[in-house]
Amino acid sequence: MSSNFFDFIDFQLILESIPDMLKGIGLTLELLFLSGILGLALAIVLLLMRISGRWYLAAPTMVYIYIFRGTPILVQIFIIYHGLPQLDFVRESIFWPIFKEPYGCAIVALTLNTGAYVSEILRGGVLGVSRGLKEAGAALGLSIRHRFIYITAPIAIRLCLPAYSNDVISLMKSTALVSTITLLDMMGIARTIVAETYAPYEVFISLMVIYLILTWMMQRTFGWAEKRMSRHVRSEA
Amino acid sequence: MKKTFTLLAAAVVVLALGAPQTASAETLRVGMECTYAPFNFKNADGELDGYDVDVAKGVAGLIGADLEFVCQKWDGMIPALLANKFDLVVASMSITDKRLKKMDFSDTYRISVGRLVGRKNAGFNLFDDAGKPIPSNFAGLKVGLERATTYSDWFENELPEANVVLYDSNEALYLDLVNGRTDMIMTNPMKAHLRFLGKEDGAGFEFVSPQIDEKKYFGIGVGIGLRKGNDALKARLNGALKTLTDDGSLERYALKYFPFAIH
Repeated sequence: MSSNFFDFIDFQLILESIPDMLKGIGLTLELLFLSGILGLALAIVLLLMRISGRWYLAAPTMVYIYIFRGTPILVQIFIIYHGLPQLDFVRESIFWPIFKEPYGCAIVALTLNTGAYVSEILRGGVLGVSRGLKEAGAALGLSIRHRFIYITAPIAIRLCLPAYSNDVISLMKSTALVSTITLLDMMGIARTIVAETYAPYEVFISLMVIYLILTWMMQRTFGWAEKRMSRHVRSEA
Repeated sequence: MKKTFTLLAAAVVVLALGAPQTASAETLRVGMECTYAPFNFKNADGELDGYDVDVAKGVAGLIGADLEFVCQKWDGMIPALLANKFDLVVASMSITDKRLKKMDFSDTYRISVGRLVGRKNAGFNLFDDAGKPIPSNFAGLKVGLERATTYSDWFENELPEANVVLYDSNEALYLDLVNGRTDMIMTNPMKAHLRFLGKEDGAGFEFVSPQIDEKKYFGIGVGIGLRKGNDALKARLNGALKTLTDDGSLERYALKYFPFAIH
C-alpha cells in the first residue's frame, strides 16, 4: 500500500529542487525582516495616533486599519504592483524607482499590511494594562508620557508578544505571495520548477518542509523571549 | 448478365484510368477548428477564412483536388483524422514527436519562432548582421518572459547575460513592458502583433529582433497533418507547399493578417 506512495514520489527531484529553492531563502528572509521592522514602526505610529484621543488622528487610522485588514493581501499587492503604474503621476513621482521594482512594491505592500495588523495587536496590549498601575504612576507624579514609557509600554509589550509572534509568522507566509509579481523567492523558484517538471507534489511538499522549519525557528525564538520577559512571574510563583 | 459485367468492367477501367486525369474527381476533406482566428475562422459572411484556409485552398489548387472543410474541435482532431472523418489537418497544428508517432505531417507552412519586442527607437544593438545575438549587449537588460516557455529555455541557455524576469501571463508581460519594468519581452510574434503591437497600448513599441528560428528550442513549426502511409499524397502536398513558398503565395496569405511573413 505505502509502496504506491513511494513509487509515486520522485525523491531524486526532491533532493535536486531543495537546494534550488533555498537560493530564494535570502529574499524570503529579507522581505520578512525589512517589512517586519518597517511594519512595526508604522504600527507604533498608527497606535499613537489611535490612542491620542484626537479624532482627526484616530479616525484616519481606523479607516486605514479597516481597509488593510479587510482586504486580501494579494489584492493589495496587485493594486500596488499593477495598479499604481497606470497612474501617470505615480510614474512621474520621486517614488517611481520604488514602485518600478517588484521588490519595492513587495516591501511596501507587506509593510502596509502588517502595520495595520500589528497596530491592533499593540492596541490590545495597551488596553490590557490595568488601570490601577497607571493610576499608581499618576499618584507618584509621573507625567502621561512617562507613564506610557515606563509603565504601560513594557507591560503592553509583554502582553502582545504571543499575538505578535503569530503575526510575524503570518507575515513570513505572506511573503510567498510576492512570487505573483515576478520575484523569485522560495515560492517563485518552486513555481518555476513545477512549471518545468510538472511535479507539483515533490516540489511543493519540499517547500512546505522548508517553511515549517522556518516557522519552528521563529516559534522557538518568540517562546524564549516570552519566557524571559515573564521571568518575574515565575520566580514569584 | 454478361453485358452488365462488361459495362461494370468498362466503368472500372474508365474510373481507374480517368480519375487521376480529371482534376475534380479527387475530393480532400480538411479538418480544422473553424474558430481559431486569424488562422481558421468564419468571417462576417459566414465563410471560412484565414491563413490555414488560404494554404489549404492554395495546395488544393496546385494538386488539382476539390476541398471539403470539416469543423472539428481541437481535442478530437487527431482521433477524427485517424477515424477517416477527414483526410488532412490544416489547423495550425505544430509538428511534434508525440504527434509523429500517430500521424504524418507535410513540410511546414508556418514556423515556430520567438521575437523580441521593445520600445521604439531605443537603439538596441542586440543582433549582428547574420541575425545572431550579441551576448555582451544583453548584459543587464531586463527581459520579460513567460515562466517555463521555450523562450525562457532559449534565454537561459543562449543568453545567460540577460536579466530574465518571469511572468505567469502574456498580459502581465505587455503591462510591465509598457510600465518600463522590463526593457523588452520575448514572445510569439503573431501573438505580440494581435494582442499588443497592433493595439493602442503597443503603439510605442516594435520588434527589436529578427525572427529567431531555433528548432532545438522552438520546434519545427506547423504542417499539414495526414494519416500515415500516404507518402504519395504527402509528396504532392510538399511539392505544392514548395511552389506556394517560392511564388510568394504564403507570404501573401500572411500579409492579410500580419505585417510580416510567418513561414
